[in-house]
Amino acid sequence: MTGARALENIRVVDFSWVRAGPWATRWLGALGAEIIKIEWPESERGRLPSTTTPQHLETNLNTSGNFNDTNVNKKSLSLNVRSAKGLEIVKRLIAISDVVIENFSSRVLRNWGLGYEELCRIKPDIVYVSMSGYGHTGRNHHYTTFGPVAQAVAGLTFLSGLPDQPPAGWGWSYMDDTGGMYGAMCALTGLYHRNMTGRGQHIDLSQMVASVPLNGPALLDVTVNGRGSRRAGFPPGNRAHWPGTPLVNNYRGPTVAPHNAYRTHPGGYNDWCVVVCQSDEEWQRLVQVMGAPSWAAAEKFTSVTGRLQHQEELDAHIETWTATIDKYALTARCQAAGVRALPVQSAEDRVEHDPQLQHREMYLPMEHPALGVHQVQNAPFRLSRTPAANSRPSPLIGQHTREIVEDLLGYSHEELRAGFTDGTFWPTKRARFPYMEEMLR
Amino acid sequence: MTDAKSLPGPLAGLRVLELADEKGQFCGKLMGDLGADVIKIEPPGGERCRHLGPFLDDVPDPERSLSFWYYNTSKRAITLDLATADGRGLFSRMAATADLVLETFRPGYLASLGLGHDAMARENPRLITCSLTPFGQTGPWRDYLSSDLLHMAAGGEMASCGYDEADVPDAPPIAPGGGNAWHMGCHYAMMAIMAALLHRTVSGQGQYIDVSIHEACSLTTESAIANYVYRGEVLKRQTGRHHAAGATPRTQFRAKDGNYVCALLGGRLNPRFIKQLADLLDSYGMAGDLKDPKYQDQAVITENTSHIVDDLVAGFIGSVSAEEAYHAAQERGFTWGAVRAPESLLDDPHLHDRGFWKQVEHKELGRSFVYPGEAAIYSDSPWRIASRAPLVGEHNVEILCGELGLSLTELSVLAENRVI
Repeated sequence: MTGARALENIRVVDFSWVRAGPWATRWLGALGAEIIKIEWPESERGRLPSTTTPQHLETNLNTSGNFNDTNVNKKSLSLNVRSAKGLEIVKRLIAISDVVIENFSSRVLRNWGLGYEELCRIKPDIVYVSMSGYGHTGRNHHYTTFGPVAQAVAGLTFLSGLPDQPPAGWGWSYMDDTGGMYGAMCALTGLYHRNMTGRGQHIDLSQMVASVPLNGPALLDVTVNGRGSRRAGFPPGNRAHWPGTPLVNNYRGPTVAPHNAYRTHPGGYNDWCVVVCQSDEEWQRLVQVMGAPSWAAAEKFTSVTGRLQHQEELDAHIETWTATIDKYALTARCQAAGVRALPVQSAEDRVEHDPQLQHREMYLPMEHPALGVHQVQNAPFRLSRTPAANSRPSPLIGQHTREIVEDLLGYSHEELRAGFTDGTFWPTKRARFPYMEEMLR
Repeated sequence: MTDAKSLPGPLAGLRVLELADEKGQFCGKLMGDLGADVIKIEPPGGERCRHLGPFLDDVPDPERSLSFWYYNTSKRAITLDLATADGRGLFSRMAATADLVLETFRPGYLASLGLGHDAMARENPRLITCSLTPFGQTGPWRDYLSSDLLHMAAGGEMASCGYDEADVPDAPPIAPGGGNAWHMGCHYAMMAIMAALLHRTVSGQGQYIDVSIHEACSLTTESAIANYVYRGEVLKRQTGRHHAAGATPRTQFRAKDGNYVCALLGGRLNPRFIKQLADLLDSYGMAGDLKDPKYQDQAVITENTSHIVDDLVAGFIGSVSAEEAYHAAQERGFTWGAVRAPESLLDDPHLHDRGFWKQVEHKELGRSFVYPGEAAIYSDSPWRIASRAPLVGEHNVEILCGELGLSLTELSVLAENRVI
């Protein structure tokens, strides 16, 4: 069976948009499921607005780079689900599918006439994953989120930053990436349960609620010890503990020093390296890597409590040394001696300079009909028998409408043409892309 | 509808052997909370993570680590020294009937004990083994040491998080809250494991999975890679909001109570939005000149962005509590939120409506504590915490005697020889 796909013969009806839902189905697709993305250009969010269209291309529905990376391994059916004919077509598709997934606000699919009860009527063992901001139940179910709002409301934003400064938060929608992970996990666990019991179900995932457990042990520190996170020295920047504040674990692992980011040569925006010593032994190894400078021999730096107490001085000394060395050279020297150190890496660093990601083929080129050849992100896991693989670039909008409507659902070519004329497959007043004209011949 | 609470979870019937430290224990928790029978196999005396604080009442003790408690719910635990021949023998017997081995040892360690996937799969071809390690099983960094902070650096998280120069001059890149590198690795590991399990329901065959935490972290910076790959851009860090190639309007505003509000404005300052914004602000008497019809002209809006953001929005939020601004804005359709500390979440009525907070009994202490519950509500197979984290060797008798058939005297001999 080598060469088989883990999710062979699984079909997913994907209503999701923007990022969190599409990031979930991207992985289901990489694992071998057939992902049919239902789209409508008049109410599309994910392709536009685009801030990742290459400078030499016109920004349109088919030229977002981020959309491409987020939507590889999918087919696109452009369909006006809010028309009677469109609804009928999508119901025929659901009847031969395994999963329905969407990340709309809580009542949207139901208002379209596709609530869970109706989905069950169409396909009794359907696995329905709803990925809304706040979930389908609870008094705030109608509230909306984007990643940053879910992160703020759920506590994640607060846990990031320097003490006595505003929260630094997360510099991206962590909960779109991670919400996508949970969406995929919900679909996969729901499918597993279906395969074992024959029963489908509705899985009501909430982006905001899913964020809360990611605060980690800080939550138990509140509920068990009554210690909140609004306290002196928290959040402790990149340190395990902020000097001059009460000594307490700040959820970054063992409370140790050094534990920080240090400037490296030549001092550019991302020229930083992090160094952590988790024991006296590791500290002594670092001392040797630094060339056993005389300051490091001082009594106060030989114990972990001393290093924590004199952390400002310790960090200043270490940075005087790191500032003379390139971050990759520093990493290599430290790691060769058994010292925990890695460079701060930008996207450019990861794509161009990271030998490990290069070895593991994290970014492989793939051709997209409108964007050309670019590197696409691969799976962070290797399954020995059913490897995940990016099998096709993101679809052009509506690219697979004919294939799905005629070959999969059995409508005639005349019906396809009629659907383009009456606004079922493309808005009548909107210019068609050339590949649509091609499909109508 | 049946009462879903009484049903088994979606992974009921699965047997997982967990040989995991801080890198993989969260994956075991996810599987246990979803209904799998997760047996944590610890070295005699208990796993290293039991020594991580904070501790119950700040009294350090391997049975009082809140970090261990947090990441080890819904598991049973035995102790076993895999470096001993008896330990290896007992592990092999357990692996012969298990569905999954989840391990976080350095690459090659289990194989060096004769307990690698290939050896175990000869007896049990349905076995799935997931190795979750910092860099995967191959490559030049394979044997590098790591930590949560190190992964946040190399994975790109820190390059995207930090401050505007105006807010904190010369600020370093900032690592977000602790533990999230492990979360990222565990999320992808969980996805790969579920794919392998699903495949097995059809093929009957297990397989080996090699997961890299570094790759998982590198995949978790949203558009940063796309911005570089498609446009050659390296993004800048900005206070409390998205990394970007150029400056964007701030989104974090200080409320009257000193807490912050995340108010998304960037890309939204158009006539329709301004009208809704004016209505919201006006309901608090804080609209200023925003109701002036001149603001229905995009050019005027663009010209007055600083006035709208820094005077009017900041002024409104500064006049109310963060919670007030959050709910008032959301009720009017604005995607805004209060920036809350974790302790504030316990009072959130929405979470209470969803039954999110769970009482988990710690029988040996005669106490129950509140734990966070499930990310999603399953209608037919609930995700729920089955039990508190196990004590050291709590299930030695139950599993080694009850299931593997050792006598109590045999167990005693194993204890004398530090096998368990």
